[in-house]
Amino acid sequence: MTDPSPLLDVRGLSIRVAGTAEPLVDNVSFTLNAGETLCIVGESGCGKSLTALALMGLLEGTPLRVERGSAMFQGIDLLSAAPDVLRGLRGDRAAMIFQEPMTSLNPALRIGEQIAEAVRAHRDIPRDAARARAAEMLQRVRIPAAGKRLDEYPHQLSGGMRQRVMIAMALANDPALLIADEPTTALDVTIQAQILDLMRNLGAETGTAQIMITHDLGVVAEMADKVAVMYAGRIVEAGTTAQVFDDPQHPYTLGLMSSMPSLAGDQGRLVTIPGSVPSPDDMPRGCRFAARCPFATAQCEAPPPLAPRGTGHAVACWHAPLEDFAVGQRREVPA
Amino acid sequence: MTQTILSARGLVRRFITGKPLFGAPTVVQAVNDVSLEVRQGETLAIVGESGCGKSTLARLLTRLIDPTEGSVIYGDRDIASLSGTELRALRREMQFIFQDPFSSLNPRMTVGALIEEPLRIHRLGTAPERRAKVAGLLRKVGLRPEHADRYPHEFSGGQRQRIGIARALATGPKIVVGDEPVSALDVSIQAQVVNILEDLKEELGLTLIIIAHDLAVIRHISDRVAVMYLGEIVELGDAADLFATPAHPYTEALLSAIPIPATGARKARTMLEGDPPNPIAPPPGCRFHTRCPYAQAKCRDERPELRTPSPDRQVACHFAEQLSLTGVNAAMAARPDAAQRRFALYSHARAAMAGAQTDKTKPTTEE
Ligand SMILES: Nc1ncnc2c1ncn2[C@@H]1O[C@H](COP(=O)(O)OP(=O)(O)OP(=O)(O)O)[C@@H](O)[C@H]1O
Ligand SMILES: Nc1ncnc2c1ncn2[C@@H]1O[C@H](COP(=O)(O)OP(=O)(O)OP(=O)(O)O)[C@@H](O)[C@H]1O
Ligand code: SF4
Ligand SMILES: [Mg+2]
Ligand SMILES: [Mg+2]
Repeated sequence: MTDPSPLLDVRGLSIRVAGTAEPLVDNVSFTLNAGETLCIVGESGCGKSLTALALMGLLEGTPLRVERGSAMFQGIDLLSAAPDVLRGLRGDRAAMIFQEPMTSLNPALRIGEQIAEAVRAHRDIPRDAARARAAEMLQRVRIPAAGKRLDEYPHQLSGGMRQRVMIAMALANDPALLIADEPTTALDVTIQAQILDLMRNLGAETGTAQIMITHDLGVVAEMADKVAVMYAGRIVEAGTTAQVFDDPQHPYTLGLMSSMPSLAGDQGRLVTIPGSVPSPDDMPRGCRFAARCPFATAQCEAPPPLAPRGTGHAVACWHAPLEDFAVGQRREVPA
Repeated sequence: MTQTILSARGLVRRFITGKPLFGAPTVVQAVNDVSLEVRQGETLAIVGESGCGKSTLARLLTRLIDPTEGSVIYGDRDIASLSGTELRALRREMQFIFQDPFSSLNPRMTVGALIEEPLRIHRLGTAPERRAKVAGLLRKVGLRPEHADRYPHEFSGGQRQRIGIARALATGPKIVVGDEPVSALDVSIQAQVVNILEDLKEELGLTLIIIAHDLAVIRHISDRVAVMYLGEIVELGDAADLFATPAHPYTEALLSAIPIPATGARKARTMLEGDPPNPIAPPPGCRFHTRCPYAQAKCRDERPELRTPSPDRQVACHFAEQLSLTGVNAAMAARPDAAQRRFALYSHARAAMAGAQTDKTKPTTEE
């Protein structure tokens, strides 16, 4: 499963706000091979975007610091590389797209020029060649009448079309790695289906490895080769899509899946996760899920390591795979 | 069960969106000739793409806005004709839950005052009675009476939505309309709020009208579903049947777009190309014909009426009887046995945890 030299090798990434007791993102590790899609899934505030921003060197100007860890990508450590090295990588070998395209598109610039500029920022090519590349990219993201659209402004496009433009721009320089942070969350389900199809097809065509961030397990099942489930800044379960969906072992993964209404039919009352996520300035020191976990015991006052459970599958829970847990054994774990 | 509590007849609502100095104003037909019956005690869902008129329809049904044409009948009266005491009674009996109940509320009022406000407006009860009622409502939605003294910003999204529900329930409504009441919430919190809504509906015998864009939530919570496209209802029927055997091509396309959280679900799903047409100039004939994979010449010329080809199903498609459409494959959404066993473990432990916490009468803020 694990390639001897993955395209991206993230080890022990921790991110902290200076002066706080516990890191916001804690000891996150994963690998990604060329052509693979990894989905990072978890609820609001669990550190998905921070992880992505750290990898792209975009925490600059925030109170957040990478405290520890490495992320080797084509011989460069993304977490310690100099700002100008990262600037050279971004939009070239590694690209990112965001949930809300309007925040990353320049409203005053025609979309053709924006894509052409993204190309010329990294390639020394003439203007008309860059414009031709922009037209080609718009075609590849299946924007109808691409030639005409080049001269339109972002506000003239629908949300789905803008997201296509973002994808076109991100892929314009044939990146080896694409990070997409909730690229379809703001879209209707019908438009989401179009964008997901597009991203899957382009991924297959170009071999671009993708990290897709989402809170939707349906999107995960449809897109991912590998999955990392995050809770409160930590990866609690990781594995292939089949492992995580067919053999889920972390109580949070189970709770998350149980919370989702099923399309299969009536499942009666939803089996929920009690409570809500810990606040970032009050992170528990042990297992961060303990206060909400039906399986918690005194042991859970210590942080569980993300331990292997078969090839490629790893779970951070003292009681995984839960089969030996006797109901009634649960203890309240002080935060 | 099949008694009608509210019915809409030929509802039309137009908005003027642009008034040029010369020439005709631009008009959006947000709701176009909608007729439907809401049944006493049911949960009716309204679904469709953004801008198709769901919120406008919900507002028309509760007279938050007036129709351009058509009428809404509640208890054999046209709600447009109500005024004074009768209108106040209507407001008491129909309540709204918004996506973020606080975006429209005064942040300087305590939660208790916010929940009490509808009671004061409708002059229900004495001050101590109202306070007791507020405490009871907070408990009903899984919060604590002490929360009444706090301010909105001190609460999480899920807690705020519970407060929104408590406020909506204060006047003892018969019909509660939720416009995306759980859409802004995380999955785990959404599940808690969905359970609360279902429990309260049961306990209080409410009729619910729910708008949501998550079709799995719709499938779970509703008895019947109305599918809207460009201001019109194109299909309406029993939720389970409609998801299993859609009769309108648009419903089929909508269902095919749902990402299914199970392995092996990966598929090419684009049944609908492009965006919905501009509601300012909807296509002639069947409004869906420009995106419909089954469209024939007739679809471009003739508007299909909302018909009743089989009991309990209404469809607006010329070819509903001839088409054989695909619904959600329930087998695909089902969990494999091995996973099922582990979910049973979780469910069991979860129930024991809830039991243990109630035994200790430990106050639990959530759930
Ligand atoms: N600039 C910042 N300063 C301080 N804390 C921050 C900052 N940005 C994010 N955080 C905190 O870091 C935590 C993780 O945030 P992050 O944006 O990574 O979450 P996420 O998983 O992407 O959530 P969502 O699904 O809501 O996008 C949150 O608790 C957030 O409040
Ligand atoms: N007050 C208004 N003035 C002008 N146009 C309006 C107004 N309210 C709604 N519309 C238009 O009417 C149409 C239907 O809007 P509505 O808000 O009912 O849709 P919706 O289905 O609730 O969409 P969403 O899922 O985005 O909430 C849209 O084209 C919208 O722009
Ligand atoms: S009436 Fe025609 S265009 Fe409309 S949905 Fe049916 S087949 Fe398609
Ligand atoms: Mg995020
Ligand atoms: Mg709406």
